[in-house]
Amino acid sequence: MANYFNTLPLRDQLTQLGQAEFMDNTEFADGINALKGKKIVIVGAGAQGLNQGLNLRDSGLDISYALRREAIEQKRDSWKNATDNNFTVGTYDELIPTADLVINLTPDKQHTAVVNAVMPLMKQGATLSYSHGFNVVEEGMQIRQDITVIMVAPKCPGSEVRAEYLRGFGVPTLIAVHPENDPEGKGWPYAKAYCVGTGGHRAGVLKSSFVAEVKSDLMGEQTILCGLLQTGSILSFDKMIEKGIDAGYASKLVQYGVEVITEALKHGGVSGMLDRLSNPAKIKAFQISEELKDIMRPLFQKHQDDIMSGEFSKTMMEDWANGDANLLKWRAETGETAFEKTPAGDVKINEQEYFDNYTLMVAFVRAGVELAFETMVEAGIKPESAYYESLHETPLIANTIARKKLFEMNRVISDTAEYGCYLFDQACKPLLADFMKKVDTDMVGKNFNEGKDATVDNIQLVQVNEILRNHPVEIVGTKLRKAMTAMKVIKTV
Amino acid sequence: MDKPLVYISNLNLQYAGLPVLCDLNWNIYAGEHWVIGGKSGSGKSSLAKAIVGQEKFTGEIICNYDNPSKLMPIAYYVSNWYQFANLEGDRNFYYQQRYNKHQQNDTLTVYADLLHFGEKNNLNFQDAEPILDALGFNNCRETQLIELSSGEHKKLQLIQALWFKPQILILDEPYTGLDKIARVNLNILLDRLAELGTTLILISNDFTVPSSINRFGEIEDGKINTVDNINAFSLDETRQSKPFPYFLQKDPPGEAQTIVELRDVSVKYGDKVVLKDINWKVARGEKWLLQGHNGSGKSTLLSLLNADHPQAYASDIWLFGQKRGSGESIWDIKEKIGIISPELHWYFDKNATVWHTVASGYYDSIGWFLKVKYEEQRQIEQLLDFFDLLEVKDKLLHTLPLGKQRLALLARTIIKNPQLLILDEPCQGLDRTQAAHFNAVVDELSRYGKTLIYVGHYESHLPSCIDHRLELEKGEVMKTQNILEKA
Repeated sequence: MANYFNTLPLRDQLTQLGQAEFMDNTEFADGINALKGKKIVIVGAGAQGLNQGLNLRDSGLDISYALRREAIEQKRDSWKNATDNNFTVGTYDELIPTADLVINLTPDKQHTAVVNAVMPLMKQGATLSYSHGFNVVEEGMQIRQDITVIMVAPKCPGSEVRAEYLRGFGVPTLIAVHPENDPEGKGWPYAKAYCVGTGGHRAGVLKSSFVAEVKSDLMGEQTILCGLLQTGSILSFDKMIEKGIDAGYASKLVQYGVEVITEALKHGGVSGMLDRLSNPAKIKAFQISEELKDIMRPLFQKHQDDIMSGEFSKTMMEDWANGDANLLKWRAETGETAFEKTPAGDVKINEQEYFDNYTLMVAFVRAGVELAFETMVEAGIKPESAYYESLHETPLIANTIARKKLFEMNRVISDTAEYGCYLFDQACKPLLADFMKKVDTDMVGKNFNEGKDATVDNIQLVQVNEILRNHPVEIVGTKLRKAMTAMKVIKTV
Repeated sequence: MDKPLVYISNLNLQYAGLPVLCDLNWNIYAGEHWVIGGKSGSGKSSLAKAIVGQEKFTGEIICNYDNPSKLMPIAYYVSNWYQFANLEGDRNFYYQQRYNKHQQNDTLTVYADLLHFGEKNNLNFQDAEPILDALGFNNCRETQLIELSSGEHKKLQLIQALWFKPQILILDEPYTGLDKIARVNLNILLDRLAELGTTLILISNDFTVPSSINRFGEIEDGKINTVDNINAFSLDETRQSKPFPYFLQKDPPGEAQTIVELRDVSVKYGDKVVLKDINWKVARGEKWLLQGHNGSGKSTLLSLLNADHPQAYASDIWLFGQKRGSGESIWDIKEKIGIISPELHWYFDKNATVWHTVASGYYDSIGWFLKVKYEEQRQIEQLLDFFDLLEVKDKLLHTLPLGKQRLALLARTIIKNPQLLILDEPCQGLDRTQAAHFNAVVDELSRYGKTLIYVGHYESHLPSCIDHRLELEKGEVMKTQNILEKA
């Protein structure tokens, strides 16, 4: 199978990359009707599979689960998930031939095997749905010509998809139709109805393409979302230990700080996050993040280039073929860092203290979000897509760090994200070595404002605020966040 | 006189920038057992939290513990509001989570949680056994925390406190959500603890308190006054009667004559049977009282009606004349139902203002997301006025006293004039006057073609319109009764 994106002429590459239209509510007026009474079979009953199925059924759709014979015979968790919630469960052979819509919600790595097993069983003119385009775009999976291929990708973990739906809301969602597989022109009505069934239409929907979704998703996850949060966390912890800050305090500050800080990012954007700092700290964080952007820009560009050329997915798939040798080695190394091994101390850190004593992370997050966004947009990805794949998802990943540190983050995220995260982390740490030498405890570990008076140069502050607020990620973010009214506050600590 | 056990001098405390306690002085001597009552929002919980160091204050609070005593030299506080966390400290649970089954455990089991508590505090698990027994908690050992109902959570909090045996035990509204037997047994356990030397401080307006209680106090204008007995507590003023909002003085739409029908409905989790062979028919306009002990299956039964339970799809359930799982969405069902329950309150959006809380009733959402039409805005204002909530409409819900929060959620429940009202312990957290007021509202509302299902443990706190009764025991229907026929 050849990389699909690389087979396209440049004009088609650009068209598909640049596909991102924020959809109006009126586009969903038909509700779930396009899928009403249709037989929907979900393959896979993990976090996304189960929770999306629960939502779709609660929206009045006919849902059952097709699992591999071994999963059923051995009563694995996927089988229990589906049967405990009173779904019909059957083998591929039993259920796929009856399906009007097959929703593939298995892990990326299994897509080729799953689709090869499912496709021959699918009836003429049926529809196949993905929630990530890797298999189609990077692996170049060819789908039978009579089959319609769509994508519905909620931009949240499965548990959130369910929780938000039951609150009467939803999570932001990307939908797409594969241009090579829309023989009857029913792709968009199906994708929209499916999206309504999960509640996604209430939180903002982006009309995207398989290509735009894959190229932006990979970029976001390996740079700002996972890579930089990992690098920043480890460097911050090590710096505090080097400077004699209590290890338990340092561990707690790093584990929960990134969640508290990015919670401000989620609700108020980059400028909202920096507004939580005192004026002098804000100016300092601004200056440092400018420096960080200069240092890291080539690395962000390299990641984007490798994603566009297919180099990244090629290397990763070689590792898949090699039994995940590199991935498992790097995962083990992450489990061995001093941060990972130091339990969070039993100290109370109040919410504001996470900003005042962890200004360095604010600078890291601003630099990472803006760089990822800028690099994606320069590569032809639309600002809307770039926003979801950078700023929007950062707090979600931060929440996994707050739950169980970096090892857990890497366990929870997809294999592609984890693999890319390690690549980024390994390259980024040496890049920041000189920078980190200059960092002292006023930036991480102690209150930045301690022993300083609060004076700032007024003109300088005005300029900093203006630069922060007029960044394109803030402009598009303000628009998109309007659709996400009443975002839930996530709080672990 | 001996040194007081608790010495409080010139205590000042603010909440949200407003003074709550002003130069409060209070001495508690060994052998005294207090009930603190009085109006909601007078500062009872703030005082308790100050004593245990959970609230900032100025002034002096000194606890002179009895060193030779075997009891823990600690003032232990059981709050009226409690949110459990999972192992990672995560508290982000959602209302219906306990009905959705996932293989990955979200929270600890009761047993594991108690073991953890015992280890942390060096307690012997054998000492917990009789308490578990007395509060009827033995069959909950393997239950996950997320699966407990509000009454069961309350019991778990109390079990830990009783097991801990502190020198000072402060219980904030300990009877909330407890069934009758549990209330009686709790008082017996508290009396035993008092005999061992624990000083009890209860915050409650309840009539049934442990017999060891010998002091009564209430907070007025930021200071504590002693009163003679429970009957002397001041209650919230009986509110001036206001005309019932006009838009609620009409029958809701809908044609179905049978509102609810359950045929041989059972709910099982693995081997644990929660509901067994339930048959129940509720006709339009009937007013049902649903009763049963904590853990008898009431919440699960109601979750089937409110389309919150996935097992409804495998059962023979008819709602508003349509079979569940025949292509309707849960929102089609919720649209016809106004529901309130302690759990709903528990999981409600902490960032919602009072106005948004009521507005969300139009969309059955937890929190408010959609624009409300002009006419609906007018209705919200009218209803807020009716419940005396207009003044606080822009405040965050969770900053109000519990009783007021409850009223705001009740307004949310009725704002859309639903066909079926499901009121699961709606008067929890209200004092007697507030409860009487609320039940009068229910009675008035019921006149306009509503069907009602009401859960209440307190016989004295029921609306008078009730005409049918269903009693659950261990997941089975013990009795159904037409109260009118009997009369």
